[in-house]
Amino acid sequence: MFGKFLKELWHYIDVTICNIKMALMMIIEYPANLAGWMISNPIQFILGFATIKFVVEQFGEINGWNYGQLAFLYGLSVISHALSMIFFVQGWFMGWFVIEGDFDRYLTRPLGVMYQFFFTNINIFGITDLIPGICVFIYGCVKSGFEWSILKAIAIIVMLIGATLIRGGIYIMLGTTSFFTKSPMDFGQYTQEIVDKTTMYPISMYPESMQFVLTYLIPIGWVSFYPVSGLLGIGDSSYFGTSAAFMTLLVGLIVMLVAGAFFRLGLKGYESAGN
Amino acid sequence: MNKKMIEVKNLCKDYHIVKKEEGLKGAVKGLFKSEKKTIEAVRHLDFTVDKGEIVGFIGPNGAGKSTTIKMMSGILTPSSGEILINGVDITKHRKEVVQNIGVVFGQRTQLNWDLRLGESFELLRHIYQIDRNEYEETLDVMDEILDIRKIIDKPVRQMSLGQRVKGDLVAAMLHSPDVLFLDEPTIGLDVSSKYALRKFIKEINKVKQTTVILTTHDLGDIEELCERLIIINHGKMMEDGNLVDIVDRIAPYKTLVVQYYDHENIPVHHSCEMIKTEGNMAWYRFMKADITAAALISELSEKKKILDVSIEEAGIDDIIRIAYGQ
Repeated sequence: MFGKFLKELWHYIDVTICNIKMALMMIIEYPANLAGWMISNPIQFILGFATIKFVVEQFGEINGWNYGQLAFLYGLSVISHALSMIFFVQGWFMGWFVIEGDFDRYLTRPLGVMYQFFFTNINIFGITDLIPGICVFIYGCVKSGFEWSILKAIAIIVMLIGATLIRGGIYIMLGTTSFFTKSPMDFGQYTQEIVDKTTMYPISMYPESMQFVLTYLIPIGWVSFYPVSGLLGIGDSSYFGTSAAFMTLLVGLIVMLVAGAFFRLGLKGYESAGN
Repeated sequence: MNKKMIEVKNLCKDYHIVKKEEGLKGAVKGLFKSEKKTIEAVRHLDFTVDKGEIVGFIGPNGAGKSTTIKMMSGILTPSSGEILINGVDITKHRKEVVQNIGVVFGQRTQLNWDLRLGESFELLRHIYQIDRNEYEETLDVMDEILDIRKIIDKPVRQMSLGQRVKGDLVAAMLHSPDVLFLDEPTIGLDVSSKYALRKFIKEINKVKQTTVILTTHDLGDIEELCERLIIINHGKMMEDGNLVDIVDRIAPYKTLVVQYYDHENIPVHHSCEMIKTEGNMAWYRFMKADITAAALISELSEKKKILDVSIEEAGIDDIIRIAYGQ
């Protein structure tokens, strides 16, 4: 039983390596694309960060968060955004795959459909978001005087995995609605607006009802706000301390499980497309 | 010993569509009150295909051929009924069953558009867990029939349609599946590509005993490939049987074309029907049971001097037209 599981796991890893190789080959095939993203994506986030700097300079701090801490939060948020762009951005375009019958091919291959949907189309260009994220994060570490320890490093990695899963799960759930509506909705703009606006700044600055929604219903608060509050010990939300990062992972796994179940339900109603 | 490869039992597929009304008014109305309509795309299909058979699925556009093939290859979930491939239910054990089938849609490709053909093969080699030696052996076989190694380094986007379809066929056969589903594989191909493709299908059927199910509108495909035909229309089975038997039953006649020396007093014959004349040519349709061609020719030649004769079998196009018309 366990041997069979390992064999299957290796099968998926093997195919993933092959997919990544192909994605890299595509970049080499079209280098101008990478150059374009390399310029436009970092500018977007550096400008976003410059806005925060301006606001903080005007008001001193936002809800008890000083400039360095905000940079720390913003940086981690952009990193998990970038990771979700690399692995899950396809979710934004799921509607087109549904309408055009592009799931046909995945269904005729001996691998999970959701796995193939995301990993046949790994978006290496997402790396161009990682760079500004890492820069701002390092800047935030220095500015906020963050003290590193092995536990904290592990917590940050765990939190990033959890945050990526939460984001991915949300993309999957939104995309899956296309199976029912049979219309190609492009959720990219909405998700980027909503998720990014609520993860790059502390959600404690929003009204309480909003915070409730972002904590329990659409758990975006766990992407960055709660775990970073815990790590830096800011305000009431730092109650869980470093372990909030592990809560993020748990929330991420739950969101993914729900998204997966929803996706399977949608796929059952998949109607392909006429020739 | 005939081994059952595909068993289809009481297969049905319904689609639910929302009826759209005309114009803006209708569209707004549809927002509040929508009328749902059920379309029965496939109705109670039952058939069995043995190992090594080549079966042609034919029927007019929208008859339910593609829907049936998509259900048999795991893409669509049947509304009711059962499909067993090699004894295993594909609806319940998709991943296990698809390891054993190959699928080619003539109008789409599973190849990576931007990279050389070989990279798409390499990915499939990993997906189907084919070891390198076996892969090279299969490729050798494919190379003999289709010259695939000549185009293996070419990016797919630069290929002609014929080359791309060849690539897709090989891609579908890399893991040596027992069953190959082909949905309109020859659509849009030129004569020589069609020839190569048919040769390929015949070869793999002979060498690897691959069971082939294909849909096509091309009479040449049917004539050259299919011993057995399944004709469906409006989602229902119209005919299922040996090509020759179906021809004999639906169109049990031949047509004798006679060219006389001149166009005056072209004779008729009591045991056949003269369907048309044109100058000094006459077309006689006769039942195989009523009279032999030899007898007909000799009796006609007694009445008038014959320059030349030819015999036309009832074409498959006739069969299809008659079957569709039912």
